[in-house]
Amino acid sequence: MAALRAERASPAVESVRDCRSLESGSFLSLPTFRLLFCPSLEALVLSEQNLPTFLVQLVAMAGNKGRGRAAYTFNIEAVGFNRGEKLPDVVLKPPPLFPDTDYKPVPLKTGEGEDYMLALKQELRETVKRMPYFIETPEEKEDIERYSKRYMKVYKEEWIPDWRRLPREMMPKKKYKKAGSKSKKVDNTSKDTSLTNTADVLKKIEELEKRGDGEKSDEENEEKEGSKEKNKEGDEDEEDDAVEQEEYDEEEHEEENDYINSYFDNGEDFGADSDDNMDEATY
Amino acid sequence: MTQAEIKLCSLLLQEHFGEIVEKIGVHLIRTGSQPIRVIVHDTRTSLDQVKKALCVLIQHNLVIYQVHRRGMVEYEAQCSRVLRMLRYPRYIYTAKTLYNDTGELIVEELLLNGKMTMSALVKKVADRLTETMEDGKTMDYAEVSCTFVRLADTHFVQRCPLVHATENSDPGPPPPAPTLVINEKDMFLVPKLSLIGKGKRRRSSEDDATGEPKAKRPKHTTDNKEPIPDDGIYWQANLDRFHQHFRDQAIVSAVANRMDQTSSEIVRTMLRMSEVTTPSSAPFTQPLSSNEIFRSLPVGYNISKQVLDQYLTLLADDPLEFVGKSGDSGGGMYIINLHKALGSLATASLESVVQERFGSRCARIFRLVLQKKHLEQKQVEDFAMIPAKEAKDMLYKMLSENFISLQVTNNVIIINQQSWTRVRETPEEIPKTPDHAPSRTFYLYTVNILSAARMLLHRCYKSIANLIERRQFETKENKRLLEKSQRVEAIIASMQATGAEAAQLQEIEEMITAPERQQLETLKHNVNKLDASEIQVDETIFLLESYIESTMKRQ
Repeated sequence: MAALRAERASPAVESVRDCRSLESGSFLSLPTFRLLFCPSLEALVLSEQNLPTFLVQLVAMAGNKGRGRAAYTFNIEAVGFNRGEKLPDVVLKPPPLFPDTDYKPVPLKTGEGEDYMLALKQELRETVKRMPYFIETPEEKEDIERYSKRYMKVYKEEWIPDWRRLPREMMPKKKYKKAGSKSKKVDNTSKDTSLTNTADVLKKIEELEKRGDGEKSDEENEEKEGSKEKNKEGDEDEEDDAVEQEEYDEEEHEEENDYINSYFDNGEDFGADSDDNMDEATY
Repeated sequence: MTQAEIKLCSLLLQEHFGEIVEKIGVHLIRTGSQPIRVIVHDTRTSLDQVKKALCVLIQHNLVIYQVHRRGMVEYEAQCSRVLRMLRYPRYIYTAKTLYNDTGELIVEELLLNGKMTMSALVKKVADRLTETMEDGKTMDYAEVSCTFVRLADTHFVQRCPLVHATENSDPGPPPPAPTLVINEKDMFLVPKLSLIGKGKRRRSSEDDATGEPKAKRPKHTTDNKEPIPDDGIYWQANLDRFHQHFRDQAIVSAVANRMDQTSSEIVRTMLRMSEVTTPSSAPFTQPLSSNEIFRSLPVGYNISKQVLDQYLTLLADDPLEFVGKSGDSGGGMYIINLHKALGSLATASLESVVQERFGSRCARIFRLVLQKKHLEQKQVEDFAMIPAKEAKDMLYKMLSENFISLQVTNNVIIINQQSWTRVRETPEEIPKTPDHAPSRTFYLYTVNILSAARMLLHRCYKSIANLIERRQFETKENKRLLEKSQRVEAIIASMQATGAEAAQLQEIEEMITAPERQQLETLKHNVNKLDASEIQVDETIFLLESYIESTMKRQ
């Protein structure tokens, strides 16, 4: 709720916020004046808490002495308004999205270096989309599949992170085990069959290259003879079970940890939490 | 972390790594360090995707992890490192100017992949270079690794922290995360590798028809399975070193603009000499004697020792104090005041921003306040010789935009009439009344360069975010047209390859109508302009950031 309110803050609140950003240095900035002359200052102030104290003081003063010009606690001539001069209008709307500028911007630098960097930047933008690090969101299926879409897909090379450098929990356990056995298998098969039937294996490898990890090992399994296949599958099922068991255990373990953590609250967490809430509120 | 910075980080992450990584990254930037389970819960993303995203972010040095007590691993985003992604084109271009195409590709690959082993990097770069060469020519691995060694020697690339090797005899469960150690000594030590071979061309499918290259490829892939000689030693681009280079270049060109080419060459020589001896964050370079400088001047630069001494004296006398004299031994010892130089550069850009935004009269007031430190409103009007009403208007405009700040004080200040600066403030001068009664209060206008620079930096972040959003909007608006032109280009290319007649080609080219072509031109022009602005705003960002960083270190 708080976030919502802040987002759709009324323009008047906007100007209050302007003031707040100025609170460090001065309090005689123009927005403060606007505020001073705003007819419904009290209402405005009530809608926004955490106002700097000086504003509240000003409001109190205004309340005491009644509204109008006489309310200023200082000599307005000191800031450049003559007696009887019209004061600037109250601004009740946010500044325009595309404000007029008094001065046109200077043209951009041009030159060989600039051109090259521009080309590099645009090329880089295309390249990163083809890198394996670019994770696309699984898109929802369209009703009609566009023919061209099939050809627009880019095949990215696979990326296997160096697990030694990453925390253990990063490792997808199942995948890792399979990946280990797979690489061995690939070696074996390629060595065995390379003499007899090169072309076939090559095709296979090419196919495999295009597919995901999981499918690969399935393919490998199909290649094996019946008995072996059964053995393998059995093995893998066991493996999977074991992994699942492990994950489950871990989860339980962590849950326990979580509980203990929250039970022995050292007060730090509370601070962090309230921070979070504050953060959210400002959006 | 301000909202503008977070917004910019979000846009950058999204452009580089896609939406999922962006979601996780921004969440981490907002919340600080968090364990994986909390990330999964808070972002409502599947565990698998969070893991993948974190892997990507860690690979690119954008996220670091830390083991907490109780064995929890917490992940923390490096926000300022994320913002560095803006500068990638500049890093790459710098590498090109210093180390040619090979250097360019090495840095580009390192930035694209975050970190890489030397062997993988050399192979990749050699392959890419070979592809751009004429048929029959190939790039030698040895040549690429030679450039790599030079980059490491000049510290433009550095090793990533190594995984601390744990003894196998260590009982108990393995730690939840590896500990990474930085070995200061070996940071730039290149492993001894005998990389022999040549870059390989990626064959298109037609080439494979002969069958011969086909047989080679699988061999190549099995080669990769062999133990890599420099396994586990990863390299990354040393961005600080690049920044040092940018800073030096800025100083050199500033001197060239202020004085002349020769003096800038002298400053360049001094900076080059102290590149290795001075840490990048030091406020001064090591003192250099004029004899040393004379010996190190680039060959072919014919100036006598006397002229050099004259130039050095001139530089040291300059009020901007880029060069300072630290002693008289050895024909005069000279230093370069890096901190002052950055300050002058930042002030100059502030001045020019004021000039371009508010006009030259405002700039006059701004410079006046800058020069006199503290001024009352009446004094501003008098000194600037601008009619009071206009001067007030300008002053308030700059005040409300936070270029100028207002100091409210009711301390009694003894003012030295000549310099208008505060000379003395004793305890007796503290007012008896703590209120801000107007009659006893002074309103002094000042320029706080640091806070003005911060404000401007913040605006720069905002404008880059706006530029990116505008670019994305322009591209999205014309998506269909862009796709069409891509398709047509692809068809033309394939037809040219098969040797189609000119008439046919023209027919296909006409599939894009004249107005469409015009629209494409406009789009391209706009996108180019937006992209160029991004790069150039980043230059200002660099300057302001360096200034703020160096000022914060001194305090």
